[in-house]
Amino acid sequence: MNLPKIDISALPDLDTLTGVFGSLAHPAQSLQSDDSIVVLMVFVYDIIIT
Amino acid sequence: MQIRPELDALRRDDTPQRQAQARLVEDLARWRAGPAAPLDTELARFGDGAELDDLPLLSALFAPGETAAEDFAAELVARFVAALERDPLGQVPLRHYTDDLVTTLMLARNARSTLTLQALDGTGLARRAAPVSAGFPPSEAIERVLAGSAHGEVMSIVAARPGGADLSSAELHLRAGDVHRRDGSREALILRSVAGSLVTLKLQRRTASNAVTHEYRLADGALVHQAAGNPRDSRLELTAALLGRMGRTDAAPLLAAMAEETGSPALRWQALRECLALDSAAGFAALSQLARRGEDPLCGPAGALRAQLIETYPQLAGVASCPA
Repeated sequence: MNLPKIDISALPDLDTLTGVFGSLAHPAQSLQSDDSIVVLMVFVYDIIIT
Repeated sequence: MQIRPELDALRRDDTPQRQAQARLVEDLARWRAGPAAPLDTELARFGDGAELDDLPLLSALFAPGETAAEDFAAELVARFVAALERDPLGQVPLRHYTDDLVTTLMLARNARSTLTLQALDGTGLARRAAPVSAGFPPSEAIERVLAGSAHGEVMSIVAARPGGADLSSAELHLRAGDVHRRDGSREALILRSVAGSLVTLKLQRRTASNAVTHEYRLADGALVHQAAGNPRDSRLELTAALLGRMGRTDAAPLLAAMAEETGSPALRWQALRECLALDSAAGFAALSQLARRGEDPLCGPAGALRAQLIETYPQLAGVASCPA
């Protein structure tokens, strides 16, 4: 069977897009209440101590 | 460029820095072996859904009226302060973050839960623009105020609606000794003012694994953003995209399986798109499967895309009739 090659840009996204973990539309005000900021913090310490 | 003599010396021989670092790690190890000994085990159990009351150390830290939390945090901070006086160039061997508003030390973590010590600076908060939105992550938070006081509000989701949510707000005053517990998927804490600094000990655990973080506008409850509720979903989505860009057709069966799993719909849809682009037969078979699942949140979008693809590429209709 001769099947088409589909271009991914022609495939629709869902109606509501989902950003990556920790992403926010208004990040400046949201630092206080979510652990995702903490999880995404720089991890230099792990490199320094091992 | 000016380089201070002590830093210049370290560029030639970093032994003192390594020794300082080893001493800090030792200080942390002593705290972990002492007052924090049960912490890792209890935090893991909490992350797995255990009740706080069944965890002796954590329940003591977050019991109103007790001073265990103050002692627990003070002992660690005293160790680090003494260590940094001795070795000012040392790096505290815990993940940390600081800016003009918030300073955070992550005391312990495991896959789904974290214990952090946080200080919010009142002056920094006053300088920030008033918040326009609130985030509702799929996580539970318990906060204990160790020092300072704050005024804010708890925004609650009264009802979800397409494209947004109806929000209500209730005033909240936080004072030293207070414990505030909230389900992050329904309630968000917004602090309006802090007198001096607000120091809190914060315990958090992520709840439903497939849920997403919603960010709603305070003014009208409109959904302004939605994000993966856990890092794993984002990692998998990026991996699927990478496999797609690399043209790894051998990954198509795996991507088809991901699309048909019971994970986050957003992740499954991206896996399906990558699969369709890599191998239209495997992708179309998965798409047809999803379109047949009435209970699946992807059933509608899958049905619509399937119809659209058959219209554009009539030969794909034959794929669906092939035995899977």
